[in-house]
Amino acid sequence: MNSAKDATKNRRRLSWQALVTVLMYSFMYIPIIILGVYSFNESRYGAIWKGFSLTWYRKLMGDERLFLALGDSLKIALCAVAVSSVLGTLMAVGLARYRFPGKSLYVGVSYLPLIIPDIAIAVATLVFLASVSIPLSLWTAIAAHMVFCLAYIAIVVSSRLQGLDPNLEEAALDLGATPTQALIRVLIPQLMPAILSGCLLAFVLSMDDLLISSFTAGGANPLPIEIFSRVKTGIKPDINALSVLLILASGLIAALSEYFRYKSERI
Amino acid sequence: MPRRISRNSLLSRTSRRRFLQGSAAALAGVGLANCQRTIGEAGGTGETASTDAASDSTQASGTLHIYTWADYTDDELAAQFTEATGIDVKVDVYDSNETMLAKMQAGGGADYSLIYPSDYMVTEMIDLEMLTELDKSRLVGLDKIREKWKSPVYDPDNSHSVPYSWGTTGLLYNSELLTTPPTDWDYLWDNSDVLSRKMTMLDDVRETMGAVLSSLGYSYNATDPAELEAAYQKLLELKPDLASFKSFGWQDELLSGDLLLSMVYSVEGIPVSLENPTFKYVIPESGSSVWTDTMVIPTSAPNVDAAYEWINFNLQPKVSQETVERLFFATPNGEAMTMLSKELLENENLFPPEDLLAKCEGIAPVGEANALYDEYWTKVTSA
Amino acid sequence: MPQGMDKGIKPAVALGRTLNLANVLKMLKASIRPLGLLGPAGVWLLLLMVLPTLLITELSFVPGLRPGEAIEGYGLLNYLRILEPTYLQVLRRSATFATGTTLLCLLLGFPVAYWLALMAPKRWRNLLLVLFILPLWTSSLLRTYAWITLLRPSGVINLALGALGLPTQSLMNTHWAVYIGMTYSFLPYMVLILYASLERLDLRLLEAAADLGANPRTTFWRVTVPQTLPGIAAGCLLVFVTSLGDFVVPTLLGGPSSMTISRLIYNQFLGVARNWGFGSALSMVLILMVSLAIALLLKYGDRNPEIYS
Repeated sequence: MNSAKDATKNRRRLSWQALVTVLMYSFMYIPIIILGVYSFNESRYGAIWKGFSLTWYRKLMGDERLFLALGDSLKIALCAVAVSSVLGTLMAVGLARYRFPGKSLYVGVSYLPLIIPDIAIAVATLVFLASVSIPLSLWTAIAAHMVFCLAYIAIVVSSRLQGLDPNLEEAALDLGATPTQALIRVLIPQLMPAILSGCLLAFVLSMDDLLISSFTAGGANPLPIEIFSRVKTGIKPDINALSVLLILASGLIAALSEYFRYKSERI
Repeated sequence: MPRRISRNSLLSRTSRRRFLQGSAAALAGVGLANCQRTIGEAGGTGETASTDAASDSTQASGTLHIYTWADYTDDELAAQFTEATGIDVKVDVYDSNETMLAKMQAGGGADYSLIYPSDYMVTEMIDLEMLTELDKSRLVGLDKIREKWKSPVYDPDNSHSVPYSWGTTGLLYNSELLTTPPTDWDYLWDNSDVLSRKMTMLDDVRETMGAVLSSLGYSYNATDPAELEAAYQKLLELKPDLASFKSFGWQDELLSGDLLLSMVYSVEGIPVSLENPTFKYVIPESGSSVWTDTMVIPTSAPNVDAAYEWINFNLQPKVSQETVERLFFATPNGEAMTMLSKELLENENLFPPEDLLAKCEGIAPVGEANALYDEYWTKVTSA
Repeated sequence: MPQGMDKGIKPAVALGRTLNLANVLKMLKASIRPLGLLGPAGVWLLLLMVLPTLLITELSFVPGLRPGEAIEGYGLLNYLRILEPTYLQVLRRSATFATGTTLLCLLLGFPVAYWLALMAPKRWRNLLLVLFILPLWTSSLLRTYAWITLLRPSGVINLALGALGLPTQSLMNTHWAVYIGMTYSFLPYMVLILYASLERLDLRLLEAAADLGANPRTTFWRVTVPQTLPGIAAGCLLVFVTSLGDFVVPTLLGGPSSMTISRLIYNQFLGVARNWGFGSALSMVLILMVSLAIALLLKYGDRNPEIYS
């Protein structure tokens, strides 16, 4: 590989790394672009291009079942993230502040949702709920989602906590604030971009979750489950339209998250 | 165990009320919801849904949550029901009896007031005490059921179930691309080179294992471990040439030529063959399975009244007849049959001749051997 | 007094002095804050993470448990069953998929990360990186679905190949489709982690090596790689672990002979098999495999990633 110096000298010459990079970018985006193109194809079968049309988008808009699924997913994600943001942030602050016997155990447990594969978590949660005879419902799904949401939020907030100026909080305490006030009015605002960033991450993960929802949602039908069953039963062009819309929505969220991260680094 | 995907293959239910309740909780959803609602109402669903909005607000007596095979109910049926009774219908689908049982047992079925198990599953669920005994006095129209289904083997006297549909399992194939037509199960093995990676079998343990057992001359309900082992080995032989085990979703691939032959339920195969004469449905000569799907009310049903309404609604000959004409399954409702078009009545795939039917077996519970079937199936699908 | 007793009594007396009521109250009061902070999350994790894991550990030792049945006895049957050739093959297949995917991601991702971190114009680096990561934010289901559209016999790739007069591919429903799908899903993770590591690379080391007469290849293998080894290890770990437990790609893109451990577990609980004991045992084995991978690769990575200080 060229050293960086060489690279600057030979910027004109296309390095093989750049070539591979271009290839990989295409690799990442071509499938998405194809989906987009086909979502506008009048014909049902991709093989024939029948003409540009918005048929599938219209069909998508009239698909009540899909919107109900979206509603279920949003309910789960918003509730789980809302509660987890509080719990996760508090946990991150607590871990940054205090030392106590068994701390490494606590820390280890908080890592578990990130490490243990989804299927194992899903299975374990189902078994637990079955053993205490809690019937599956929207609430059990929210409860299960909260577990990984708070783990991710805690990690994002923690990494931010490390870079904070501890003097601000001390100053607040010196000026007569109670520790709680110092927490709420000094620390939290500083952490806000990280909290938001973590929430966005948790939100996206929750919306995209298939396995944990499959095992813990009863009566509710989150979007990934609906999409999964449709995809299993064949190619449907309205799924193409749905993909395009969801990809655009995700792009928006990613942009938002980047913005928050950028802002948080500027503090 | 028929399931079918209607031509539109999108299930929707007129459950705007529930949808509105839901969207109140999801902030972002509100915007979308309003959008969709306007479009949906303006466009209309094309059926007798014009009075829906009115009936929703005046008569609603809750929601009926159904767990059924994909497309046993379509938008039209749900809309008709809601218009007639004011009860909203929400439909979830499953693609095999065992998956449905697993979900119900795992605690995920507490919402469902009505499910559609197949014959053998009814017996199993009765044994597991998961079904309520039906109060015959609340049912209207049971007398219209044909003799054959008045007191079937799987549920004497229909004490816990109401027969809904029946059919067979067979092979749907592309008659243009396959020069010699299949007549029996062994066709798959004999022509595995031509069919390689272009054929599918049902993703249903009893159906597929049963078909292989039948090709070996055994019963669909074999319990002898030696016979099951033989069937397992034979299926394993065929496996490398199978594209996949698929109960649903083969239509696109068959129609586009990706697949040449699929093992299908009559309720799905027949509409394709009717729409497109290139594809023919055939019941294997050595005998296939004949199944009956039923409506039952689980013991955990939250809205039993609505469930009875639904059953009665579907027992009406007119409703039954219309549904058959849209969804193409054979009905056990004698009076509805008399109302069917001559074409449909004479369709031998839909209503097979007696001699062929005699060779077909109904799938029955196999008791202890269930574990063996499950084990072999897990092995076949894992290999 | 004998020496020993003296030694024993003094601390006891001291303890007694500290444990008077006022001090206990003070201790309790002091722990309200940490409890308030760490309590709720801790309780939640305990209830919905720890307890469930302990529960499946227990169930894994109950042979052939069906839902709704009472636990009748314990035994090793479930684990012994995993040792059967069929199931060992499933484990092996999962591990092969995971390893292959990891290697592919590493081979394809390293040049990208290298270019982004060291060769791309500084102003655009962040944006380009975000662009590469962007697909991660979309549903993995839909991204896999895109590949079905591409790979199926009547799909886009064959259309293009046909138009060019080239022979068509039949990768759909094979192992290769699974590798493609998985690599596609996890490549951004690898690039992200490698980028983070390469960005911190001290360029002066590379210059020094060049000055000392090393050719680019030597520089790479003897300077760049050792310096970024922790990043490589972390990236490989993440990709390996996630692809080991992946459910969507093998199910949608793989054929009937692509059963993976994740799908097998799924079938035990929500599918035909309804064998919760066996499913639990399989889950424990999966957790074990993941733990092994973590232990192995942590050897080469950062010893203590001190996220929580």
